Amino acid sequence: MKKNLALLVLIIFLFLLPILVGKYLLYMTIHILLLSLFALGFNLLFGYTGLLSFGQAGFYAVGAYACAKVLLVVPSLLAGIFGGLVVAGVAALVLGILCIRHTRIYFSMLTLSFGMMIFSLAWKWRDMTGGDDGLVGIPRAPLEIPGLLKLNMTPMENYYYVVLIFSLLAIYLFHRLVNSPLGLTLRGIRDSETRAACVGISVVNYRLLSFTIAGVYAGLAGALLPPLENTVTPPVAHWSHSAEPVLATLLGGIYSFSGPIVGAFLFYIIKDIIVRFTEYWLICLGVIVLILVLGFRGGVVSIWERKGGQG
Amino acid sequence: METLAFQGLVGLSLAMYLWLLAAGLTIVFGVLGVLNFAHGSLFMLGAYFAFTFYGLWGVNFWLSIILSLLTVAVVGYLMERLFLRYIYHLDHAYQLLLTFGFILIFDDAVKMVWGGVAKIPAMPSFFEGTVSFWQRPFPIYNLFIIGAGILVALVLWLLFEKTWWGRIVRASASDREMASAIGVNIPILFTGVFVFGAMLGALGGALGTPVRVVAPGIGAAMIIQAFIITVIGGLGNLKGAFVGAIIVGVVSAYGILLFPVFELFLIFVIMAVVLMVKPQGLFGG
Amino acid sequence: MKKWLGIISLLFIFLVSVSTPALAQKAPAKKPAAKPLGVEVIKFGGMGIMSGPLSICGRVIMMGAQLAIEEINAKGGILGSKCELKFMDDELKPAVGVKNVRYLVNEWGANFILGVDSSGVAMAIGEIMPEMDRIYISTHASTDRLTEELVWRKGIKHIFRTTVPTYQEAILPAMIFKDFTHIKRWAGINCDYEYGYVSWSLFKETLKKYRPDVEFVASTWAPFWTMDFTPHISAALAANPDAIFSTPWGGEGVQLIRQALIMGAFDKIQLWWHPTGATTDFLEAVTSEVRADKFKGKLWVSGRYIHNWLQTPENKGFVERFVKRWAMYPFHPGQGAYDAVYFVKAALEKTRSLKTSEVIKALEGMELTTPAGHKYMRPEDHQAIYPTPAGRPVHDPAYPIAVVGDFKMVPAKEYFRHPPFEPIKISK
Repeated sequence: MKKNLALLVLIIFLFLLPILVGKYLLYMTIHILLLSLFALGFNLLFGYTGLLSFGQAGFYAVGAYACAKVLLVVPSLLAGIFGGLVVAGVAALVLGILCIRHTRIYFSMLTLSFGMMIFSLAWKWRDMTGGDDGLVGIPRAPLEIPGLLKLNMTPMENYYYVVLIFSLLAIYLFHRLVNSPLGLTLRGIRDSETRAACVGISVVNYRLLSFTIAGVYAGLAGALLPPLENTVTPPVAHWSHSAEPVLATLLGGIYSFSGPIVGAFLFYIIKDIIVRFTEYWLICLGVIVLILVLGFRGGVVSIWERKGGQG
Repeated sequence: METLAFQGLVGLSLAMYLWLLAAGLTIVFGVLGVLNFAHGSLFMLGAYFAFTFYGLWGVNFWLSIILSLLTVAVVGYLMERLFLRYIYHLDHAYQLLLTFGFILIFDDAVKMVWGGVAKIPAMPSFFEGTVSFWQRPFPIYNLFIIGAGILVALVLWLLFEKTWWGRIVRASASDREMASAIGVNIPILFTGVFVFGAMLGALGGALGTPVRVVAPGIGAAMIIQAFIITVIGGLGNLKGAFVGAIIVGVVSAYGILLFPVFELFLIFVIMAVVLMVKPQGLFGG
Repeated sequence: MKKWLGIISLLFIFLVSVSTPALAQKAPAKKPAAKPLGVEVIKFGGMGIMSGPLSICGRVIMMGAQLAIEEINAKGGILGSKCELKFMDDELKPAVGVKNVRYLVNEWGANFILGVDSSGVAMAIGEIMPEMDRIYISTHASTDRLTEELVWRKGIKHIFRTTVPTYQEAILPAMIFKDFTHIKRWAGINCDYEYGYVSWSLFKETLKKYRPDVEFVASTWAPFWTMDFTPHISAALAANPDAIFSTPWGGEGVQLIRQALIMGAFDKIQLWWHPTGATTDFLEAVTSEVRADKFKGKLWVSGRYIHNWLQTPENKGFVERFVKRWAMYPFHPGQGAYDAVYFVKAALEKTRSLKTSEVIKALEGMELTTPAGHKYMRPEDHQAIYPTPAGRPVHDPAYPIAVVGDFKMVPAKEYFRHPPFEPIKISK
């Protein structure tokens, strides 16, 4: 009960945000929401299924570029967002089939290489992706349901609400997903692959499903980017971008539902604050990573849980 | 025809350089089971220290290389003893994450100590000059790198195949528990192997100082190539790393000459193909 | 649940503490500031690459801007308001550049944005300047598209540039080397991104106009973070060129030329055009080679500002002050940033207002005597017009490092492009 009340307060706070904070913080919050979705999907693969992917940025990029391409032709926000996440999902399915039979290090290396292949494609295929300049002039298209409504998205506040609603829906969906038999199955596979197989679970199929869903979430996060920034450039596919959901999840807590979200918030805030005062933000982040891996592998959420009793 | 052959030679020198980078990485994985994301940073530190000794303090070039190796050995020792050894029992993921944290730390640390600007020392005079291959001048320096790479390969082969220490290391790599049971001091061995791997990485970096700049981030830029090589060859397999390096180096060189559009792409495609067809790598098993 | 309560309170405290400065800025001042411009401090937000092989270029932007601001503040500021600089790292990533600009303008309160090395970053931040309602002055990013396309064609009036764009790399050499009749075969070793494509294409296009007999025999492409150029150099040399055209810059340029030297390139070819070679870091790296005449007079360099070219009192004073302040000889991103600040000062003294539209009008057509010579801010595309020569690195006993000498001058009017700016066809 208390938990639900707290959640309600948080959601109300988020809906009131544009009135409470300045433009930059609003912009930052949108980015935090995007990273939350990105990290949430990543953690389905890592925390719940036990597969560490270093190539999620590839699907983020596919979602972003696909959305951009759609918006440049059809200026409808919903078309862009759904177009982006569907294409990303398909890409995840296809690449997943190639990756999923491998485990551990080899899986990580394969995902890394596929992510970087997408990066190379984005950089080199000038005619399609704009090359290193990226796609520019992407409109923040109106939210349009033909015959029903057409909302102008030019003010950032309006777009913030779209992102917020998509994020809340996606998080809710994720919650249902991981608390369903699917979630339990994934955890079973993570904990013991052989035992799961013995019980008759197709390990490969479930892993593939997990991989695809992770790709869809990455693609959704990516698809929400172009209307915000009006440009998409190749670094969104680089492995250093893949590292962000990894770090965020590690920071927040790998084995908890809210870990990636908390971690996304903390990761973004920490980097943003540090960068204002010093150029040496890498070492701060690195030290935090060390501390977390050595002492707090459950992340920040686990620290809260230890203090407040069972979560 | 001569162009192709010459480009292949250029690719070979590139490859030997990459071999120096990948050798330490694959040894550490083979014995400790740790894929050290920060191996490229140790390479970068080797370059920085060599630059400092040779370029800033005017120490003899060869002595600078040795001193740089020793300094990085200390760094490697501290890394292993104070941090790495506490996570051997954990999932590979945490080792990747911890060593990734080290990349971030090292990149800023070198920036703090040496500044963020790229630096290069004066060229040692004995490296100037070329040798003619197919009527084209090939730098003596690149010949030296090829020689150094082959020498290191030979030394490593001798070390691991023919010496007592090598036998113990190989035994511990294939069965840690058994080795421990017959009296091998695993913790000390691990530290030793990690330091050894770090020194190999540093050697690669140090040998590059005459023609490459040192700058923060060059380690992270190289680590992906090192991964690709070790994966292609088979993680933990030295012969595989040697062959993998040659493949990557030569393919890069030919890519630049013949397929400039695809060059960036090619190496990742090769890694993906190898992983899908033979997941343990060409020589892994 | 306590966990959730804890998270929410954390969120709340954080956002309140961070947003308070923003709210405070929104609140009207208790009493009106006594300064004509209406603020106590004029804030300049700067950006550049601060890390990696190219970082000297970002750092020198900061140095140039900082020097100008210190000089101005020592003389009482701009109409009594002091100046302040905040410099951030754009990591060569357009997304980071955009984020930094939003932070600098919306959170920190920047009145002007200056700097940026990467053309990609400049193009990205240029696009959002109307939304930010701020002027951005480029001091290095050299794609002609920033001025030709964004200002001239798209009408984004908020962008200005104090340094010459790729006209320097591409058109200037064509004007000079068209008379080198023995040079017929050119090979290119170029950056595998916008800057490299544009420079090479523009060079080929221009040279072909004067010398239809010229051939472009090879072209290789090096992405960011290329450490080893030997395969590129050997690929270029394999085509037996008379001359090589190269765009890799900063530390990458240093590596390229070093590696080319040991490959005996300077024995094989007649000429090497390295347009980013007048930068201090490059000249420092090749000092001993220049002293020993390793380049055999074949290396030609240029820069958007060359510190020892103009012997005017403005320039000599500037170089002296820069060296004293930063222990380094200035080169163009730094000098461009220095000029950017002084252009703003001149504009503000004219408008006596920070209103963006008025400052834009004041900057258009402005002429300023700077250390780089007389700069005219052309109103059509907001590009500063001024000449810089090409030359060769030489050993001059008056300087501890190599400098540029053997200057060859071409009037700016002849090598700057003019409206209506035909789009450049990118060809590899």
